[in-house]
Amino acid sequence: MGTQVKDVIVKPDAPSTLLLDKHADYIAAYGSKKDDYEYTLSEYLRMSGIYWGLTVMDLMGQLPRMNRQEIIDFIKACQHECGGVSASIGHDPHLLYTLSAVQILCLYDNVDALDVDKVVEYIKGLQQEDGSFAGDKWGEIDTRFSFCAVATLALLGKMDSINVDKAVEFVLSCMNFDGGFGCRPGSESHAGQIYCCSGFLSLTGQLHQVNSDLLGWWLCERQLPSGGLNGRPEKLPDVCYSWWVLASLKIIGRIHWIDKAKLRSFILACQDEETGGFADRPGDMVDPFHTLFGVAGLSLLGDEQIKPVNPVLCMPEDVLQRIDLQPDLLS
Amino acid sequence: MAESEEEVDVLVQRVVKDITNAFKRNPNIDEIGVIPCPEARYNRSPIVLVENKLGVESWCVKFLLPYVHNKLLLYRQRKHWLDREALADITCTLLLLNPDFTTAWNVRKELLQCGALNPEKDLYLGKLALTKFPKSPETWIHRRWVLQQILRQVSAVSRSRKHPQGDAEQADADRSQRLSDQLARTLHQEMKVCSDAACRYPSNYNAWSHRIWVLQHMAEGNVKVFHDELSSMRLWVSMHVSDHSGFHYRQFLLKELITELSQTPASTTSSPQHRGSAAPSSSPPHHGHDRANGELSGAEAAGEEERRLGSTAALQLFHQEVELCSDLIRSFPGHETLWSHRRHVYYLWHHWRREHQHRCGSNRGSEPDCLNNGDPGLPKACAQSPAGEGVNGQRHAGEAMEVDGASPPDPRDSKRLKRGVQPPSAPALPSEHGFVSGILDGCCHPEQRRFALAYKKWLDTVIDQQP
Repeated sequence: MGTQVKDVIVKPDAPSTLLLDKHADYIAAYGSKKDDYEYTLSEYLRMSGIYWGLTVMDLMGQLPRMNRQEIIDFIKACQHECGGVSASIGHDPHLLYTLSAVQILCLYDNVDALDVDKVVEYIKGLQQEDGSFAGDKWGEIDTRFSFCAVATLALLGKMDSINVDKAVEFVLSCMNFDGGFGCRPGSESHAGQIYCCSGFLSLTGQLHQVNSDLLGWWLCERQLPSGGLNGRPEKLPDVCYSWWVLASLKIIGRIHWIDKAKLRSFILACQDEETGGFADRPGDMVDPFHTLFGVAGLSLLGDEQIKPVNPVLCMPEDVLQRIDLQPDLLS
Repeated sequence: MAESEEEVDVLVQRVVKDITNAFKRNPNIDEIGVIPCPEARYNRSPIVLVENKLGVESWCVKFLLPYVHNKLLLYRQRKHWLDREALADITCTLLLLNPDFTTAWNVRKELLQCGALNPEKDLYLGKLALTKFPKSPETWIHRRWVLQQILRQVSAVSRSRKHPQGDAEQADADRSQRLSDQLARTLHQEMKVCSDAACRYPSNYNAWSHRIWVLQHMAEGNVKVFHDELSSMRLWVSMHVSDHSGFHYRQFLLKELITELSQTPASTTSSPQHRGSAAPSSSPPHHGHDRANGELSGAEAAGEEERRLGSTAALQLFHQEVELCSDLIRSFPGHETLWSHRRHVYYLWHHWRREHQHRCGSNRGSEPDCLNNGDPGLPKACAQSPAGEGVNGQRHAGEAMEVDGASPPDPRDSKRLKRGVQPPSAPALPSEHGFVSGILDGCCHPEQRRFALAYKKWLDTVIDQQP
């Protein structure tokens, strides 16, 4: 009675070279064909969608193909009275989309398109007594939001506007016995949350608080025979988790612990040769989200056709150099 | 087919009304879904209600969703007025089709705050959305917000009861009782919603972390609820051996129970939530803690006794958990989840033991009775068992007494026997290595082998390197 490992098989005829031009065409066309139904369904996360698309274009050196002015105007229209930014016009503001908006404006070197002081006030107002951050005024707490808060403030150079010590205390209270982190104290370790928490600790200069051997061990165990990485034990491999795990390993200085060549071939196999773009797994439907994380993953693995990506903020390194932001990494 | 803008308008308004009426006609709808149906059937509503299942024919979704979506956004931008009833209907339709539309849940939060919706109705809508979208983060987030409103109501009533007078006292007591019953029902219902979502989608992170949140906020310190959860989860995890999130929940329960059992009686007080969250009636396996609150508070000797009972109960929990884990690993080879569970349980035990020894050591030099022997957490039965059998329950339970008897007589053993408490054993390093050797011995399952070796390495490096 053999139990099959939950994994995929990378077929021999799967793509094995990087199809950069196809991906650039795919992203450039994505925003223009506003197919009613699909576009409506994903409008609640539009601002993040734009960040994914623009970042991957920038990593491929294709940012000029996107409509800069239209996007900046859109972002301006999404800032609310409270200072927070919403996913789209008419939606409610949230930390998730506030970070995406600031990231986009950093790509465009135009942060002042937003009322920055108000953004800072908004974030400050979401910090709770225990140091945690609510995602919006309704109060949901999650370590993801701690990351959004400090990442936004780091990009704006305003980290000192919140209680960093308290914020660190809360994130550390979500650390688990396996070295990983969950969304709240007591929650299961999850690669996405680990990425947020290690990124958070990098931005706050607290990476020494991580048990990097232990966490690195758990992260490496995410690699499956196909070469892909999953986000938790016995889940399928996925290009986005490949990014979160890989970036976390890079942050804690353990990226050499996984089989890079195998991961590279898994990521390449997730490309769609016809349409361009990356899917979560070989053969599935592509989307901008997995396209960014596929390309960013390949960049971290050292692909020289792509600009170097920063593992903490998932943005091109040259953009961060421009604003003089170099988050800590362990070696 | 409806194509022109006006026709779509009429069609969609009719469908939204049909959905609202379906809920009025049958308040027990328990599942929603889309019925594949590429074309409209003449003169028939696309809303189908069969028994307690509500279906929407697929052809109408592409009209319905953009319509309700845009209506709500126009309202949000103050470009279009909607009354409360229309808002409730539109957000209901919208969220059943696209439950991650955060702003629609926020509109309902506002309706709740002004009393136009009641919390139970919203928990019900969320439950339905989860039947089709069991992961939907925004649906879980909204649930937590609604639950917090309910908790706030209850604690407001508890506070106002502090200075009651005369008739008001009775009325307040009744109201408080009603709220308390309501809280117990809500807790029970949340557990059910989480179970259903966990069954619909494996390793459902949002469902299980919600379940943990519910216990942390609605059953804090309520040992009985935690015990009941641990018991009921036993069968569930046995049937879902690759569900890492389900096992993590079990680890959470175990950790909380161990913490409760290890606390000194005086330090545990029952919280308001404790009183509120009445739970199903079956009796927990260990009563030590419960009695501690009632009868034995204060007296030092009694405190010692309680501590000892707590330790025994904790050991028993560890023992049972390792036994379960061993059985599952043998019955279902090659599951990473089960090996990961073993690490966690061993880790919990390792730390509990260390803290315990520390506490006992500093306790006026009294005998190290927190564990049934002085050797660092190494119940003798385990150490002496043959490889692979050390933590096997059936074998072990029978042998433990005998092995214990072989060691120098311990006056506590006779007491323990009188009480009918089995001297439990818990995992120990040699027995864990024994277990791994037993698995590796003649193992032809490559994954099982890989996980067993990884566990061994974990014991050697992570556990051995700890102070």
